[in-house]
Amino acid sequence: MKLRFFSNRSTDLIVLLCLAAILFLPALGCSAPAVQGWSGFAGSEGKLYFTSIDGKVIALNVSARSMNLPFPSEGEWVVTVRSQTAPSGSICGPACAPAAHPAAVYATPVIAEDLVYVATYAGDNGKVMAINRSAPGYDEEGIPSWIEGEWFYPRKEGKFIGAVVGSPIVVKDTLYVGSSDGKLYALDAVKGDERWAFDTGGKIWTAPSVSDGIVYVSNFAKKICAISSETGKLLWQVEFPVAIASSPVVSGDNIVFGAFDNYLYGVSISDGKERWKFKGDGWFWANSVVKDNIAYVGCLDHRVYAIETSTGNELWRFEGDSSFVAPPVLVGNSLVICSESGSLYILDAAKGTMVKTVSIDSKVMAPIYADGNNVYIHARDRNVYCIDLQDGQIAWKFSSVIVNK
Amino acid sequence: MDISIIWNTVIFDPVLNSLIALSTYLGNNFGWAIIVLTVVVRLILFPLTVKQTRSTKAMQSLQPKIQELQKKYARNQQHLQQEMVKLYKEAGVNPLGCLWPMVIQLPIWIALYQSIMQAMATTPENLLGLSQHLYAWPAVSQAVPLNEQFLWLRLSRPDPNLILAILVGGSMWLQQKMVTPPTTDPRQQSMTSMTTMMMPLMFGMLTLSFPSGLALYWAVSNSIGIIIQYFVSGGWGYLLTPKPVPAQKPPQLEEQTKTAKKAEEQSQTIKKASGEKKGLFR
Repeated sequence: MKLRFFSNRSTDLIVLLCLAAILFLPALGCSAPAVQGWSGFAGSEGKLYFTSIDGKVIALNVSARSMNLPFPSEGEWVVTVRSQTAPSGSICGPACAPAAHPAAVYATPVIAEDLVYVATYAGDNGKVMAINRSAPGYDEEGIPSWIEGEWFYPRKEGKFIGAVVGSPIVVKDTLYVGSSDGKLYALDAVKGDERWAFDTGGKIWTAPSVSDGIVYVSNFAKKICAISSETGKLLWQVEFPVAIASSPVVSGDNIVFGAFDNYLYGVSISDGKERWKFKGDGWFWANSVVKDNIAYVGCLDHRVYAIETSTGNELWRFEGDSSFVAPPVLVGNSLVICSESGSLYILDAAKGTMVKTVSIDSKVMAPIYADGNNVYIHARDRNVYCIDLQDGQIAWKFSSVIVNK
Repeated sequence: MDISIIWNTVIFDPVLNSLIALSTYLGNNFGWAIIVLTVVVRLILFPLTVKQTRSTKAMQSLQPKIQELQKKYARNQQHLQQEMVKLYKEAGVNPLGCLWPMVIQLPIWIALYQSIMQAMATTPENLLGLSQHLYAWPAVSQAVPLNEQFLWLRLSRPDPNLILAILVGGSMWLQQKMVTPPTTDPRQQSMTSMTTMMMPLMFGMLTLSFPSGLALYWAVSNSIGIIIQYFVSGGWGYLLTPKPVPAQKPPQLEEQTKTAKKAEEQSQTIKKASGEKKGLFR
């Protein structure tokens, strides 16, 4: 083989092209941010409502799924949540001009009366929509066909709030939702009218919490805000050294939340003053679940902690196989939590010892949902898994990919 | 050990965390962090850049001789290679000398590029991904999630104006013009126009669709490159050199001999210069 020396010009060119190729290969393959969403479930009357990774709101009939009946069976439906513009947040090379993508959904849907509420994430934009649980107002192609009682917020086409990541909550007849535009919105849950909006001054990626007429919300501007649920007036706010990672959860006269400095904080419900903080070895990304003054919380350091909410003392810790992105659920005396790598742990809530474990061989980031002896997992492989807690087996699984309407 | 773990531990994570920590010290300003880190990295790599620049210049000065040899041995490639090896040896120039410094610098640039992309985590998935790379430094945790506002830019989004695209394309064009010698050879000309025009155009276009944080890094890096080029090469290089008139006839033997002589003198000078500089940037 002959060895040819390059001229310096061609060397330059080759080097430049190599460099350009290394830098832009991912971009030319469309390095849009990975926006897939991780919606959890809302459940009622034997139905599960969730949003798939490809942006479809799906209603599942649990008994039909357990019998493996064809989808859709009785009471089951699917509608596509379409973003009305291309996601302005996409980072896309010229090889892939952004078009009308389905919106991603990170927020877990909530149910109130006949409506299921879904909040969307499409680049910078978001919308809140209320869909009729029994007969959604969409045709077979997923095009909205307005029916009475359903609504969008904001109503006008082309108008948006900031993208929504944290789940909305409904208290009485008001829906509260935080948005990436920094505002906490209070909407009439029945009609979708805005009651008030409060600008917290930083992105809200967490779910608000309501207790005794006060809404507590955290944001990326390092603040915890307490806002009157009636008037939308600020009651107090406290700034922390770092941004808040997880949703505030009320436990007695404390509020518990995690921050980006690897601490779990306990602050006074009356003025937000710090009472204690507990250090993990990673972010407390998921919100905690509280019962009897004990906060059960998963951490990105692969551990689950039980923390006394009045003192911040650690009661026990459990070491899992990977990060805990999704919050745990309490089922009787058991604490059930799923790691990011797909290991579902059933722990004794009192001692933190493992009772059972089930692996589903897929990543899990969405909140799990428990109903009776079953736990439902929406995994990144686009399957819904039903785990029977008694025998620790996968009872059934449902692929959201086959849903093509 | 997995190569990605080695890459992350040794190169990517230190660069990423330095970038994020810097933004805290610079008033939670990620734009300034990108600028400062780019300057710091270029200063650290300065000796290598100088070596590369000198090596490239030495190669360029040999061009007349190489062209002469190419013409002379156009039909005998094997002999041409032998003669070129001899020429490089005589001039004391390693043809791959301008490549090595770039190869060594490449991982740092890739890490810087990846860090900027990763640090501006705009989606929940990206932010979670970022958490796996962060050190437990207070300066790092205080900065996350990063403030993406800088001047008129949102660093995670493309610049809505043309300003950054013009800056990136313009600075790249200027840098290319400074190092690209004018030529009358049509084959060389097409290559030259490709590097001097196409690359700046391509980067300018990409700036319109890439996060402006990355484009900011390109603009700053190019500007520093121009400054280094200016001082190391002693002036604006080939930027102000008039375009040569294409020769209508093949050059006379006398002229060729003149050029060869000149090249010989230049190569001797370079040989001497590279011998002197060895102690500085070894």
